Amino acid sequence: MDSTQLTTLTGVIDKKMNRQLKQYMDICARCAICKDACHQYVGTGDFKYLPARRAELIRQIYKKYFTKTGEFVPALYEARDPDDNLLDELYDSTYACTGCRRCMYYCPFSIDTAWILSVAKAILIAAGRGNEMLGQLADAALFKGDNVEMFKDVIVSGFKDIEVEVQEITGNPNAQVPVDKQGADILYVALAGAHSIRPAAVIFEEAGANWTISMFEAANYGFFDGDIEKARLITKRFIDEAKRLGVKEIVVPECGHAYRVLELFYEAWSKEKMPFKVSHILEKVDEYIKDGSITVEKGLLTGTVTYHDPCQIGRNGGIFEQPRDIVQSLTDNFVDLTPNREQQWCCGGGGGIVAMEEFTETRLDRGTQHTPRSGYRCTSGHRPRGRSDAAQGQEAHARIDEPRDREPQRGTLRGAPFASSPDSDAQAAAYRTRLGSTARGRASNHKRISQ
Amino acid sequence: MSDETKVDLELDLKGLLCPLPMVKVSQNIGKVEVGGVIRAVATDPGAMADIPAWAKSTGNEVLQAEKVGGEFVFLVKRVK
Repeated sequence: MDSTQLTTLTGVIDKKMNRQLKQYMDICARCAICKDACHQYVGTGDFKYLPARRAELIRQIYKKYFTKTGEFVPALYEARDPDDNLLDELYDSTYACTGCRRCMYYCPFSIDTAWILSVAKAILIAAGRGNEMLGQLADAALFKGDNVEMFKDVIVSGFKDIEVEVQEITGNPNAQVPVDKQGADILYVALAGAHSIRPAAVIFEEAGANWTISMFEAANYGFFDGDIEKARLITKRFIDEAKRLGVKEIVVPECGHAYRVLELFYEAWSKEKMPFKVSHILEKVDEYIKDGSITVEKGLLTGTVTYHDPCQIGRNGGIFEQPRDIVQSLTDNFVDLTPNREQQWCCGGGGGIVAMEEFTETRLDRGTQHTPRSGYRCTSGHRPRGRSDAAQGQEAHARIDEPRDREPQRGTLRGAPFASSPDSDAQAAAYRTRLGSTARGRASNHKRISQ
Repeated sequence: MSDETKVDLELDLKGLLCPLPMVKVSQNIGKVEVGGVIRAVATDPGAMADIPAWAKSTGNEVLQAEKVGGEFVFLVKRVK
């Protein structure tokens, strides 16, 4: 690696360096509590997915170029150059991470590994090693944003097809999917697919909302890719649209990262106060049910019903009760999963990982495991695919009934054995209680971080 | 044009939700030679903007993008 490239890569850390990052770099005690928090490490047992190890790669560069001890005695302090080997390791560790931040929740020092990995992504992009697929998705989104007239006809045509379906579902021949409606109260920013437009359109129609749909999608592949400038520009497209239309509220769909970017990051990135409220679609539906704008019929759902907290709106966004209230308005047979709320496992599919073919096995390996309080056992069942639901269920149950492998992995971070304790969950819980931390508090903390 | 164009690879993207149709086209474009053509059939209407936008931003070419019944049919030429 030549000196120019080295300066570029260390300059990324220098630019990102603030008190928070320095603390994250200096404070890790290598207790490895995070190993039981990461679904990828639990699922694969692969050392490179251990959260502390993922962050350690950045820490090694930090030690070499930002500490005197690491600069002068690198071997003793595990300081490393960002050479090809390190960057290869960094790529696998970083882009596989779904950004669920469950490791941060269990870390006794609240080290935000996902944020450290945002620095890692910036380094990889500066080294020309960013994820190609995420980069293409981000560039395509920006291209659509810069050339909206080129795509307007096909996008609106798609909305009109969905409008027909909404009319059939609601029984109202005048139901609309309004586009570019000046003076609407709500701008709904959907995903590109019809699956996130149709249900919301039905609900807005039934609630009698004064709404309009955005020409842009909420998903932010710039954020997944780790290119914050692209992430800001992708978000800015519909921020400008919302300003132009004069809406009072932006509602985003199920995409949790879209919600988090908009609610927690955009103001810091753009250094401007948004003149409208931001809501997640589940908050809006809950509001409509509670204020009587829509009515729901209890009993249509049969059997036991549960809810899996999505990481970005749950642990990282603080939205826990509204979705449960929605489900419980539909059924008396609601059972919470264990764990739940801020402790919930990642589903394994976030952070853009579904678009990265090289991590397919990592994503699908074992999946996450849950135990509803009823005693009924189930799994999110990422495997197997392409089979009937019944077959999936049988195999999933067979798998989870096997004892969960919690044997020590005996990996080491500088000699410290990762001796897995059978009661490490209890230890983590004790740490959490002592620190008195909450997901909402942590979300607020994160909001103060300017990326 | 579709009747005259030699197709080198067929992709069945029916049932996939956006952006996966675009992702699949991108993942498979390297499987055809430069100048080769992929014929992709999707059902998510979002693909009608996604795939042409991907092609424009990556320097490839969409020869055809049309709705046929409830499906969206694309002919994508690998340019580079």
